[in-house]
Amino acid sequence: MSNKKIGDVILDVQNISLRFGGVKALTDISFDVREHEIRAIIGPNGAGKSSMLNCINGVYQPQEGSITFRGRTFRGMNSRQVAEMGIARTFQNLALFKGMSVIDNIMTGRNLRMKSNILLQALRIGPAQREEEAHREFVEHIIDFLEIQAHRKTPVGQLPYGLQKRVDLGRALAMEPQVLLLDEPMAGMNLEEKQDMSRFILDVNDEFGTTIVLIEHDMGVVMDISDRVVVLDYGKKIGDGTPDEVRSNEEVISAYLGTSH
Amino acid sequence: MGFFLEALIGGLMAGMLYSLVALGFVLIFKASGVFNFAQGAMVLFAALAMARFAEWLPQWLGLESKLLANLLAFAIATVLMFALAWLIERLVLRYLVNQEAATLLMATLGISYFLDGLGQSLFGSNVYQIDVGMPKDPLFLFESVFEGGVLINQEDIIAAVIAACLVAALSVFFQKTGTGRALRAVADDHQAAQSIGIPLNRIWVIVWCVAGITALVAGIIWGSKLGVQFSLTTVALRALPVVILGGLTSVPGAIIGGLIIGVGEKLSEIYLGPYVGGGIEIWFAYVLALVFLLFRPQGLFGEKIIDRV
Repeated sequence: MSNKKIGDVILDVQNISLRFGGVKALTDISFDVREHEIRAIIGPNGAGKSSMLNCINGVYQPQEGSITFRGRTFRGMNSRQVAEMGIARTFQNLALFKGMSVIDNIMTGRNLRMKSNILLQALRIGPAQREEEAHREFVEHIIDFLEIQAHRKTPVGQLPYGLQKRVDLGRALAMEPQVLLLDEPMAGMNLEEKQDMSRFILDVNDEFGTTIVLIEHDMGVVMDISDRVVVLDYGKKIGDGTPDEVRSNEEVISAYLGTSH
Repeated sequence: MGFFLEALIGGLMAGMLYSLVALGFVLIFKASGVFNFAQGAMVLFAALAMARFAEWLPQWLGLESKLLANLLAFAIATVLMFALAWLIERLVLRYLVNQEAATLLMATLGISYFLDGLGQSLFGSNVYQIDVGMPKDPLFLFESVFEGGVLINQEDIIAAVIAACLVAALSVFFQKTGTGRALRAVADDHQAAQSIGIPLNRIWVIVWCVAGITALVAGIIWGSKLGVQFSLTTVALRALPVVILGGLTSVPGAIIGGLIIGVGEKLSEIYLGPYVGGGIEIWFAYVLALVFLLFRPQGLFGEKIIDRV
């Protein structure tokens, strides 16, 4: 793989168990994520991948276990607080602001960084104007990066699916996160779109040094771009290691070949 | 011709007032996806606070100036509406994040009954006057064009100007500020908005504050025309067809919807009334709304809902 520098553990997930009533979504899951790496979580349908991501993102509160981010253990935090700490995410079933333009959608990602007060914003004076311009410049940079210049004013609801996925990624990038959680970024895409998305993920990782945790259903693509892979099945961890190690893991093979595929 | 113009202008002015109330609905719906049934109760509550404090303050403080008393009462009523917004978020909405729209609707229905009761037990349930010193004398315009000219209420003109200013300010707020952008984001998707760090709770307080101010302005204008009384809450029912017509998500829609209904009511009463026995004014708006629901459910300017299946 590339010769980027992988740092220390930035996100540490320990013994997470999550239940919904009698249904065990996750049982005793532990893994860590190192700075600057691309870490994939894979598994068949219903393996608990999205639940795992939602625990890290603060949408679900696991009954047991702890998650430590840059030395801070968080418990009972909601997704806004998690966002404030520097963790951004994208959604499996697009959750874009459909009525708003591409630019406005990505600008919302800058919300946490807006400092000037609302009156100054409305009147567009002094520091507020400069701040808006600075944020706008950053957003334009992201738009160039994701190659969606031609659509910047289009309401996102009107864009094709593949492009909406890019806008979703752009909005998360606008937060300048330290860790980016991607929930099935390639779901429902054709081969070409998948290749584009893989390239963007690698570039984000490379250029911005963002640590990436991504969930994927499809093993093929993930194996090519990830540094390390966690495999879940029925809420349990059945494998963890480099793509090659995972590929030759007996349990993983039977989970994938023996059941759904 | 002069008579037609008079009816038209009268309708436009009445429509402007419907628009003001409708605006409150649209604001909260736009920003939180909640259809706020309590908007009418908020109008009554705000108007009652304004009327009563304007009456009480001169007695308590021995104020001579009517203007000062009105300004103070306005300030107090504003603060009350802000406190109300904060309390509603704190005690009701906070627990309903990510819930079904129907749940939130029922919650606002509850708030509406509560506010009706609270307003009247705090401020009394008689008919009160709001007198903010708007000139009441009618004006005659176009006297050189038509015989007898066109009669217009000065009060109506001032109300229209105030409403227009309010709408302009709100448009700037929604379209041009970062906070406005955050409001629109929350309206589209709670979950996504939270995940990018938009504080849902604060946004809700802000939008209820804005809706509270709109209610106060509407309450003052309606109140000074008709007197402040319980029937003000039914004004909100008049605003329902307006939002259906204009589209629940559109600020300009609320304005134009209000104008269409105001004018439609007046003109149909005058020109169709004799044939169907009058009383059109009472049902005109609702029938129009029904027709719209059948043929254009998203309203004139609303966003068309396309579901991916």
